[in-house]
Amino acid sequence: MLLRGSCRTIMGRLALSAGLLIFLALPAQALEKQLTVVTSYPKDLTTAFKQAFEKQHPDVKVEMLKKKTTAGVKYIQETASNNSSDLFWASAPDAFEVLKEDGLLAKYTVKATGIPDVIGSYPINDPDGFYKGFAGSGYGIMWNTRYLKAKKIPVPQEWNDLTQSVYHGHTGMSAPSRSGTTHLTVETLLQGEGWDKGWALMKEIAGNFHTVTERSFGVPDGVNSGQFGVGIVIDFFGLSSKASGFPVDFVYPTVTTLVPANIAIVKNAPHPEAAAAFIEFLLSEAGQDMLLDPKIMRLPVRPETYAKAPKDFPNPFTDHSIGAKVKFDVVKSKSRYNLVNSMFDVMITYRLDDLRKATKAIQDAEKAMAGKDNAEAAKLIAEAKALIAALPIDETKSLDTEFAATFKKKRKKATDKVTGRQAEVEQQWDSMVKDNYAKAVKLANKAKSM
Amino acid sequence: MPRLRTSYLVALALAFFLLVFLVIPVGKVIYVAFQDSSTGALTLVNFVDFFKTSLFRESFLNSLYVAGMSVLFASIIAMPLAYFTTRFNFGGSILIQTLGIVPLIMPPFVGAVAMQLFFGSNGSVNLLLDQWFGINIPFMEGLNGVILVESIHYFPFILINLSAALNNIDRSMEEAAQNLGSTGMRLFRRIVLPLAMPGYLAGASLVFLKAFDDLGTPLLLNVNNMLATQAYLRISSIGISDPMGYVISVILVIFSLFSLWVSMLASRGKDYSGGGKGSSGLLKRDMKGWEKIGAYCLIIFLLLMVLSPHISLLLLSFGTIWSYSVLPDAFTTAHYAEVFSTTRQYITNTLLYAGIAATFDVAIGVAISYVVLRTKVFGRRWLDYIATGALAVPGVVLGIGYLRTFNDFNVPIIDKPLASWWVIIVIALTIRRLPYALRACTAALHQVSLSLEEASENLGAGKTATVRKIVVPLMAGGIVAGFVTSFATATVELSATLMLVTAESDAPLAYGIYVFMQSAAGRGPGAALGLIAVLVVASGSYLAHHFIERNKRMQATSTGH
Amino acid sequence: MSLTTQVQAVRLRIEDVHISFGPTKVLQGINLEIEPGEFFAFLGPSGSGKSTLLRAIAGFGPTPQGRILINDEDIASLPPWKRDVGMVFQNYALWPHLTVQKNVAFGLEERKVPKAEIFSRVEEALDMVGLSHLADRHPSQLSGGQQQRVALARTIVVRPRLLLLDEPLSNLDANLRVQMRTDILKLQRKLGLTTIFVTHDQEEANTISDRMAVLDKGIIQQIGTPMDLYDYPENSFVAHFLGTTNMIEGEVVTVDGSAVLKAGGGLELSLLDISVDGHHGAIVFRPQSVHVNPETAASSAMNLSGTIESLEFLGSTVRYGVKVGKITVLADEDHQRGKRVYDKMEQVQLVIPQEQVLFVKA
Repeated sequence: MLLRGSCRTIMGRLALSAGLLIFLALPAQALEKQLTVVTSYPKDLTTAFKQAFEKQHPDVKVEMLKKKTTAGVKYIQETASNNSSDLFWASAPDAFEVLKEDGLLAKYTVKATGIPDVIGSYPINDPDGFYKGFAGSGYGIMWNTRYLKAKKIPVPQEWNDLTQSVYHGHTGMSAPSRSGTTHLTVETLLQGEGWDKGWALMKEIAGNFHTVTERSFGVPDGVNSGQFGVGIVIDFFGLSSKASGFPVDFVYPTVTTLVPANIAIVKNAPHPEAAAAFIEFLLSEAGQDMLLDPKIMRLPVRPETYAKAPKDFPNPFTDHSIGAKVKFDVVKSKSRYNLVNSMFDVMITYRLDDLRKATKAIQDAEKAMAGKDNAEAAKLIAEAKALIAALPIDETKSLDTEFAATFKKKRKKATDKVTGRQAEVEQQWDSMVKDNYAKAVKLANKAKSM
Repeated sequence: MPRLRTSYLVALALAFFLLVFLVIPVGKVIYVAFQDSSTGALTLVNFVDFFKTSLFRESFLNSLYVAGMSVLFASIIAMPLAYFTTRFNFGGSILIQTLGIVPLIMPPFVGAVAMQLFFGSNGSVNLLLDQWFGINIPFMEGLNGVILVESIHYFPFILINLSAALNNIDRSMEEAAQNLGSTGMRLFRRIVLPLAMPGYLAGASLVFLKAFDDLGTPLLLNVNNMLATQAYLRISSIGISDPMGYVISVILVIFSLFSLWVSMLASRGKDYSGGGKGSSGLLKRDMKGWEKIGAYCLIIFLLLMVLSPHISLLLLSFGTIWSYSVLPDAFTTAHYAEVFSTTRQYITNTLLYAGIAATFDVAIGVAISYVVLRTKVFGRRWLDYIATGALAVPGVVLGIGYLRTFNDFNVPIIDKPLASWWVIIVIALTIRRLPYALRACTAALHQVSLSLEEASENLGAGKTATVRKIVVPLMAGGIVAGFVTSFATATVELSATLMLVTAESDAPLAYGIYVFMQSAAGRGPGAALGLIAVLVVASGSYLAHHFIERNKRMQATSTGH
Repeated sequence: MSLTTQVQAVRLRIEDVHISFGPTKVLQGINLEIEPGEFFAFLGPSGSGKSTLLRAIAGFGPTPQGRILINDEDIASLPPWKRDVGMVFQNYALWPHLTVQKNVAFGLEERKVPKAEIFSRVEEALDMVGLSHLADRHPSQLSGGQQQRVALARTIVVRPRLLLLDEPLSNLDANLRVQMRTDILKLQRKLGLTTIFVTHDQEEANTISDRMAVLDKGIIQQIGTPMDLYDYPENSFVAHFLGTTNMIEGEVVTVDGSAVLKAGGGLELSLLDISVDGHHGAIVFRPQSVHVNPETAASSAMNLSGTIESLEFLGSTVRYGVKVGKITVLADEDHQRGKRVYDKMEQVQLVIPQEQVLFVKA
């Protein structure tokens, strides 16, 4: 049974593999309309859309090529010289920005009507016309209800909650360099709270991390299985996990941003017409309805679709508290994309143990000081906190294009010159961060012993 | 003279294949490591940066530590198992032989997820420990987790090689020691172990190498401070052409080659296998009642431990929701139904790709081993070295190398870039698994006496006919062993294939599992797919094992040993 | 303390030993007594059980039924390492990862002998086999003969109660074999060790052993000195195995009050003066006991007429194959220059002195 369907293809392939070595002549393949989509989306989402689209266009065969966002970008970059992909379909607008900048996307004007210009405070479509938003998503907090109950941990509501010592060792997040959507969270925090305060908050939260996962899905996976109790995730991970039956729940904190999940036609796409048809389908009412499938759970960009949504489903077009606090500056985000990623990795991902140790020391010291009035100890703790929060560069520098260029070198021609080496810079940061964390531990311990 | 020409032609074809599909693509990638990123000139400054950065030094030490400890733990698991199978007559031996290689087939992603559910900080074991004793053992935290998974994953390399070495020891070696008053552990330590050392070293160096290079495990356990992960993270980040990733790749390759070379040196001139005179293998004896109970307890404990990923995979594939609990909430067969109804092509593709790749592997393995051992072609050893070197090339590097090298090369007739044709996956698998097949073929050819070939030539058979009619049949056992290892490990290969999959209809199983494991609802079906992979490979291996044994018996009766 | 002093030779007794490998009976009812200091050989074809018996004495192989006694101590149930019975293996079993010195020292180390003593005893043992200059080599760097000597040194250095040699010469070439044979015998005499030597080569057994046991099919066929066995074989197997022999089988009948052997083809042979036991059997006699005479010679009790069928020139003798009725009798005639040599197809008369003829059970 297993083999029947594929028997013919297998025979064909065996013949082809022989052909590889001797270049045997084979009859040319029948011309059939195809569509290749490079996407970071899970199977539940892609399969549903693939089937629905193929039903509407029976002559087109859709190929869903799943890559992690970063790998997808890499793939399109590496294969650009002989492109075979039609669409790039992923969440993070930044990934589209990278491709756009490399000149690897094609412009397209949407025909569908009835879609607003912004979701939350974020423009739904790329102002330059390269990529289109088809759904909104925002970052939030998900948690495992069994886990929190067993460990008697309160349910978090805001980012600040996650800095409390009760969450130490119970939270998880992905690294922005690994996941485009995680990058958005970090950038949202930096823009919403300001550069210094944002990083300080981020590090305070990170000091409680159980782990920094390599894939963005690693976070919902860890929360779902109870590996850790609380995760910072994009909404649909939380909503779809809950819909799949896991004992988890999800909340949007006040500081979040709704950003569109996007789709774009790749430059020199072999099947541009099928690609356009797919985008139109995605934005049509039928396509938008599918986003409410319990396994998918994304915020549609068509306001009228929300009428069909389940009770309690967040509606950013009516509930303006979601994602309204931050006005996300996509240009700023793009200009320091790699730099922020690198800073996060150097200060948090790769030094997580040191950071955790320092955070724990401070939390212990604070516990020991509770109820006592010791100005000197309080000063030491404040100093330790400042050491942890300290940044190797200020916001101005982060927006200095020449400096940021160190992190996205691409020598297009042999004559191009780029100054500074990323490794050199990271090396300086790393030693500073490591020293600071170690000093913070010492200060906190001193404060505790007072 | 025609004889000579044929062997040169074969050697040349092999060299060409390795050059095009291994040396050039890898060279294209690691070249970046030697390039000054601002001027493009050749430089070693990137390596200076590497050793100046404390993170990289730490990663380097972590990788060494993990590899070393993995060898230690793998030895602790493998040694008793090897000893019991070779020393005693009892049913457990067959159990070990059959189940002992299953850990090698750990499907990507689900394997680590399953381990987390079992051994994680809130996995079944720790939940039970907490319930009973109020303790929590961090099996899976940080480097511990990597060491645990690597040792469980790769100990069969030691088990297989050590058992083979023990079985090759001339029995009188042990009898002579007993005769002189030695027994028990002393005898084992002073005579048996030193004699089995070459086999042990061969296995241990493989474990060391794999643990040192392995990417998937630390990545899935979110351990970032290791070399392979650092390389991967830096290579696969968006838009960054940070040369550090490639520098680390170069260091990985060099260090892996170095450890291969050391293990070769260590076992040089120490081929202690019996020369065919007398009976070989340890003295086998039956166990007394209490010994049997003890042995079974130990073996069952070890097998439970090494099969724990597969056991929890089984639970996961049949479980509904498994979250912060000892066992899943309920059981269902829905995941299998889903896999069978929607993703059969993954299974057939995998069988096809791994099958073709393993076939190529043994064909190339036989050819290389023959050229190296039986001809005088200039530079023949380099074929061996380069092909073996593939063991040390991280899959990501090979994948990116293929994309860079073959994307602009359109295959005639189908008019598609070679890099996006499914055949490239087969080639990647072939190259990645070639070292296993090559080692097996070389070992097999070593045992074919030259006089058997001479007899054939003496009776008028040419070189080609001799190879076909005499050498290959006599190598059959080794060829099958090589095929099985290559096939089994190719089935679950992920890193290179993930880069090269260009169409879902062409995707292999590992990719399918990856796709499933990206969504909350996909965990069950992903586990089901993983378990199917294990079953397919295990039954394939069992059949091959059966075939080898039958073949051995046939040869034994025909030569009257 | 030298190896040669301190000898307390032991007596070995084997009582009713049976050994089976699964359903196959390999040894059946072995009874044997070996005197202190004796050089004893187990002789038999391959598969006769001789090696199994030797290994059973050393403690290898399946546990035997019956008793194996050294002096009066039953060692049958002791593990090999507690028997203190030295064995030299057919393939020498030298450990390739240890030097010659370490190989020889091994047994002493196991016996916790002090370091200094180990050193001197190893040197003495290697001296005794003439290899002290090769002490630092590895076995793979030695010739076959040298390996054999190392194996011997390794065994005797621990002063075992018994010395067992399992076909020790079979892997050596012919010249070396003769040399080693004498060397081993000299060494044994010097040490005064009770020694058992397994071989399938009767010449080896004859030249080296004081007494020997001939084994076949797991049963001891006969025990005795080499000459005894040659001259007075008790059955056809022993007669055949120890050198060339003539054998004529038949039924024993009584004709006119005296015993006659009726062989096939109407041949009847008188058994007068030959002790006969049973009704079916054979007479055996060695080729050198048969005299070939011209046909005219007077006939006697054991005269047979025949035709020369074949002849082989062996140097000191000429071996004739003489067809008598349906059987062929071998006859060796001394050869000297000028002595008459019979031609093929020539009619001759064979004379066999009665005292050279034995009757054996078939």
